[in-house]
Amino acid sequence: MKHSLKRKQVLIGLAILMAFLISVPFFATDYWMTLLVLIFIFTVYASGWNLFSGLTGYTNLGLAWFIGVSGYVSSLLIADYKLLWVFAWPLGALFVSLVSIGVGYILLRIKGVYFAISMVALTEGTRELIGTEYLEPITHGGKGVPFVAGISLPVLYWSILLLAFITVFICYKITSSKFGLRLITIREDEQAAETLGIHTTREKIVAFVMSAFFTGMAGAIHFTYQNYIDPSFGFNIQLTLTPIVMTLFGGVGTVFGPLIGATLFTFIHEILWAELTILYMAIFGAILMILILFFPQGLLGWMKEKGIVPRIRKI
Amino acid sequence: MENIKMTNEPLLRIVDVVKKFGEVAAIDHCSFDIAQGSITGLIGPNGAGKTTLFNLITGVLQPDSGHIYFKGEEITGKKPYAIARRGIGRTYQIIRIFPKMTLLENLIVIGKGRERRVMERAMELLHLVRLDDKKDEYASDLSFGQQKLLSLAQVLMLDAELILLDEPAAGINPTLQNELMALIHQLNEAGKTFIIVEHDMSVIMNHCQNAIALNYGQKIAEGSCSLIQQDERLLEHYFGR
Repeated sequence: MKHSLKRKQVLIGLAILMAFLISVPFFATDYWMTLLVLIFIFTVYASGWNLFSGLTGYTNLGLAWFIGVSGYVSSLLIADYKLLWVFAWPLGALFVSLVSIGVGYILLRIKGVYFAISMVALTEGTRELIGTEYLEPITHGGKGVPFVAGISLPVLYWSILLLAFITVFICYKITSSKFGLRLITIREDEQAAETLGIHTTREKIVAFVMSAFFTGMAGAIHFTYQNYIDPSFGFNIQLTLTPIVMTLFGGVGTVFGPLIGATLFTFIHEILWAELTILYMAIFGAILMILILFFPQGLLGWMKEKGIVPRIRKI
Repeated sequence: MENIKMTNEPLLRIVDVVKKFGEVAAIDHCSFDIAQGSITGLIGPNGAGKTTLFNLITGVLQPDSGHIYFKGEEITGKKPYAIARRGIGRTYQIIRIFPKMTLLENLIVIGKGRERRVMERAMELLHLVRLDDKKDEYASDLSFGQQKLLSLAQVLMLDAELILLDEPAAGINPTLQNELMALIHQLNEAGKTFIIVEHDMSVIMNHCQNAIALNYGQKIAEGSCSLIQQDERLLEHYFGR
């Protein structure tokens, strides 16, 4: 009884929050809307990273590859093939998902730090490839792709809000499912999982491809929002590192950790940047070090440990 | 008693298996059969190849030559998950459970089929190993002996017919050891087949019907426990006489 009452309260709270977020474009300034757009983009990046790496323990240092590949495909479709953004985004995400099946099949046999490095190599290699003059007729080479998608800021805002909601919801469903548990056994002890009948390679590939899809979707929206993509921008290492730091900040392997991390991180970043432009990187670094030293399990992980929130997979 | 002769197909058949690490043959032309419903002790000094043999049977390692059959089907070269699904389960010498998962999660993740049935089965098994009151605790919070019991429960969750136990009695207190051995006999009577690696010879002599002795990767003796105890060659190798 108490449980269902709590559930009801949570659902009502969630509905109010969503109603508020949906109505933001009707009263907020463009500044606040763009800040929220960035928060939601990075929420999807961080959740997408967490969905694969947080659960399986395979550190993916190639998140920017998902973002860049999908971003390029959708941007080129909009710029050169005059495709509507609503079709270009999912095509970009589907493209990177399909390629990820092959990439996962090959690279997910490699374990530990070697997998991490191979994803960096893949990202850098793809960045170089897209920038070469040989591919210029297709990719515009190093010059980059400026384009206008003809989408208003409120529509873009609602799109990324919807994507962030779906992504977090799917992560919630997965983390508390048997599929999610199977992914966690890979993190805990992959060989033991295999000798207990878990087809770890297949589970890893499925999670990897799902991660590619959501991250790719957000990547396509990201570059539509920027109206521009070029190789060093699309495959920037920051696009990999920032979501990872956000996830560590919020709580690796938790459902809402990446969302909390992305939100707090973006706000702190914004305040520090606006108020202490010169010192902001130094202060930011100090905050990060303190967090890693004292909250290695992330904010949500720490709260679970202290009993502030229940220690269940659904959070 | 003479060596047990089986009229039926053996549950597990190892045929001329070789596994080399570099130049060293960890398993050297090893052959034996395991009968359905038996408890077999696998003995031999450190480095004799006992754990390697387990790794070969479960597909963690691939043999260089030779064949392994389970229930008449060749399983040589199959992936570990595929072998596990056919009904071979194992525990490890160094416990390998999923530490940051609850006891219940450690079991339900292995179960197949309807969610409710899997949950019921997991609770039954936790009850069997007397860990049901700890079902929501992390496996890392258990004592060493309790972790061994959880590990056995995982193998039972897999519903393995053949269970390979790597030093099940090592490092746990005598009471728990007795409980564990009683549980193994209970499961054996219910139809499970066991192969047990153990250094403690009293465990082997008291609990196994047959024993296989390995040294330098070769089978040096095989037979009923009483017979094996009198084997000169084995005594020489194993007890240093």
